[in-house]
Amino acid sequence: MISYLLLMGTIACFSAILALALNFQWGLGGMVNFGLAGFYSLGAYSAALLAVKAGANVFVATAGAMLVVGAICGIVALVTLRVAEEDYFAIVTLGVGEMLRLVVLNEDWLTGGALGVTGIPRPFGPSVASASYPIVQFGVAALVLLATFLFLNVIARSPFGRVMRAIREDEIVAATLGKNVLWARVRIFAIGGALIGLAGGMHAYYYQYIDPTQFTNILIAYAFMAVIAGGRGAHAGTVWGAVFVIVLLEGSRFLKDFIPGVNADQLAALRIILIGIGLLLLLLFRPQGFLREYRLRTRPEPKVNAAGMVTADR
Amino acid sequence: MITQTLFNGLVTGAIISLPALAITLLFGVLKFPNFAVGSIVTVAAYAVFALNVQLGWPLLVAAVVAAALCGAFLILVDSVIFRPMRDSGSITLMVASLGLGLILENLARFFYGNAARSFDLELSMPFRVGALRMNSEQLVAIGMSALLMLAMYLLLMRMPMGRKMRAIADNPSLALVRGIDRAQVIRWTWMINGTLLAGAGVLIGMDRALEPLMGTNYLIAIFAAAILGGLGSPLGAFVGALIVGTSSELSTLVLPPGYRTGVPLCFIAAILIWRPQGLFGRPLIRR
Amino acid sequence: MNPVLELSELRAGYGTGDILKGVSLYVERGKIVTIIGPNGSGKSTLLKTLIGLVPVREGDILLNGQSIRAFGATRRVRAGLAYVPQEYNVFANMTVLENLQISHEFAARKGHRPAGNVLSDELRELFPELAGKLATRAGNLSGGQRQMLAFACALSVRPDLLILDEPSAGLSPKYMADIFKSVERVNKTGVSVLMVEQNAVEALAISDQCIVMANGRVRLDATARQVEQMDLHELYLGPLAEQAA
Repeated sequence: MISYLLLMGTIACFSAILALALNFQWGLGGMVNFGLAGFYSLGAYSAALLAVKAGANVFVATAGAMLVVGAICGIVALVTLRVAEEDYFAIVTLGVGEMLRLVVLNEDWLTGGALGVTGIPRPFGPSVASASYPIVQFGVAALVLLATFLFLNVIARSPFGRVMRAIREDEIVAATLGKNVLWARVRIFAIGGALIGLAGGMHAYYYQYIDPTQFTNILIAYAFMAVIAGGRGAHAGTVWGAVFVIVLLEGSRFLKDFIPGVNADQLAALRIILIGIGLLLLLLFRPQGFLREYRLRTRPEPKVNAAGMVTADR
Repeated sequence: MITQTLFNGLVTGAIISLPALAITLLFGVLKFPNFAVGSIVTVAAYAVFALNVQLGWPLLVAAVVAAALCGAFLILVDSVIFRPMRDSGSITLMVASLGLGLILENLARFFYGNAARSFDLELSMPFRVGALRMNSEQLVAIGMSALLMLAMYLLLMRMPMGRKMRAIADNPSLALVRGIDRAQVIRWTWMINGTLLAGAGVLIGMDRALEPLMGTNYLIAIFAAAILGGLGSPLGAFVGALIVGTSSELSTLVLPPGYRTGVPLCFIAAILIWRPQGLFGRPLIRR
Repeated sequence: MNPVLELSELRAGYGTGDILKGVSLYVERGKIVTIIGPNGSGKSTLLKTLIGLVPVREGDILLNGQSIRAFGATRRVRAGLAYVPQEYNVFANMTVLENLQISHEFAARKGHRPAGNVLSDELRELFPELAGKLATRAGNLSGGQRQMLAFACALSVRPDLLILDEPSAGLSPKYMADIFKSVERVNKTGVSVLMVEQNAVEALAISDQCIVMANGRVRLDATARQVEQMDLHELYLGPLAEQAA
């Protein structure tokens, strides 16, 4: 039982980092990343390939993953932000994620195609006894999560964080104040990307093998649930949101004990349906999440929403 | 070889023009990209399957009934899911549509499994017209798509409801003020969506097969077509679809086939970099 | 007295805080009422609240004696209101004819209004320039012509009360004079008019009543003739002085 909890805890840790990355890019930076699954797989494959094919150790491999994903995200942001509209950016990231998926599937000389990459070594394998490995693994994962969390908090409260919030609130005003909006956003997206890479690396080292089926678009739904449940923009909330989603996921595994007469495929489909319904319920009834972000209250500017009504800018 | 590929591209373009038009109309009226469009096509196709194969109805009748059911279903979905979120901004709506897409795709999987199915249709033999090899399903695709496009054109340009739809897309608050009943226009838009998407479902089911991912496979291509043509421009959706369809097919001549869906992506990227409003759209003014 | 419009203690706004802080006024049937006041006084918001684009928080709006507070914009138009916004007041991507058709179809649906031609004889008389430009895209019209079109569309629905937000804004002197002349002529056919204006002198010249607003409240409600007599100093140091407080 303990070791099950430790394993779940480990998964929760790198899932939380993934959710934090989405929260950072979207919640703070205003850039929604629908290609999350693709970038996550890019991180995992980078770390895996560095470890297996280049024999890199866990630090180098993970750093490599962070670098690769961070750089790609930066480039995507740089090229796409000419069109700052949220809708278009979302579609582009969806497309990039899809492109990454295609590359993984087709370039099997590199990625092993549908078979994936196997034999990723345990990061601290030789020096840790088998019995205590789950604890060590969880401990390391938790430490990394903590470090990420602190790092993001430092950024949020720094001058750069203020610039980010200024840009998110009113881009034009921020630009006239001389803040280089484009570069700030590129940096945000790149830093978020590096975090995605980190999570991907951790994923690879946890499962010790990766294949394309681990990186479907359901991931983005989970990540959104975590971010929305925790309150977009609030880092601590996102972590709790990730825990909440993991609990939900694991809990639904036991569904099969309650529903007779469905086969494995149907059960899998049912779980995803429930996740989807959960996401919708969250959006409908608790879009602001359960925790709040600290914000300065300012006088709202009138904005005409899609229905034609005049509202305060959200 | 090239003419054959072009023809195949034309067929693909005809097929995706329907959902491309659907999402561009929806975007004009409701101002968000509907990521569930692929899954709706899938579910509509399975609905036709249920009527056609399980109940034994002729395909055309099944298609028409499914289209009406699909439209009604979408109106229901809108009132339960999207209407409460109308004030919440397009990201919320996008994420909701993503969730909806997951639900629908897996509903299809739950009830029909992952195995490929097909409609109750006599197998037609391919025939030659000049140098081109084609089959009757492909001609049906081109014909049906052209017919529906024509009907949509007449609706949008000549009929009061079409004018109202264009007016709301142009200026939502002015539309309110000029007395346009927004709720009614929204219902019509979803009904039209249901028809177009059911049509696409039938065509894809005829051209390939029915399986849970049949619609989502086209998701990127559909958006590429709509964006290339200009989100909100019906003519653009049609032209964009033809361009995306033909270029995807042509790309198989030079690229490995696994990358066929990559071509629409490049279109999206290129368009958004050089001409965000697409070929026929106008620059989006967020007021 | 039979007011076509009556507002009582109207409070409205968006976001936190009210923009309209308790506005009470009435418009007598068949009259032209002009609202003037400094920027930020809530004049535009008042008009938007009347037509239904900004929700009412407290107070009431009575049109022809009937409360329309709970009505959406479309229903208010059906009840007899018409609104011409200051900007973006035509469907720029549709032709002049299509713009008119939308309003015309609405009027025809109202049932008890006569249908007839899209560009009726009276509209044609008021706005002769439009007749020759029916196929032109509304966005390609000049500023003055766009204003004419917006005006024509509003009149198409045969309102009891016409609400105008700065009808002369940004227009050349010729078009400005034309617009005010049109307002007068329309008024003579029985349509009451409530307008917000910055060009106070020209507007007051055709008005019956004048309302001065500042800080979300009515500061002065007098006849147009009285306000015209007032010294600008008197006006701005008197009723509007409280704004500084």
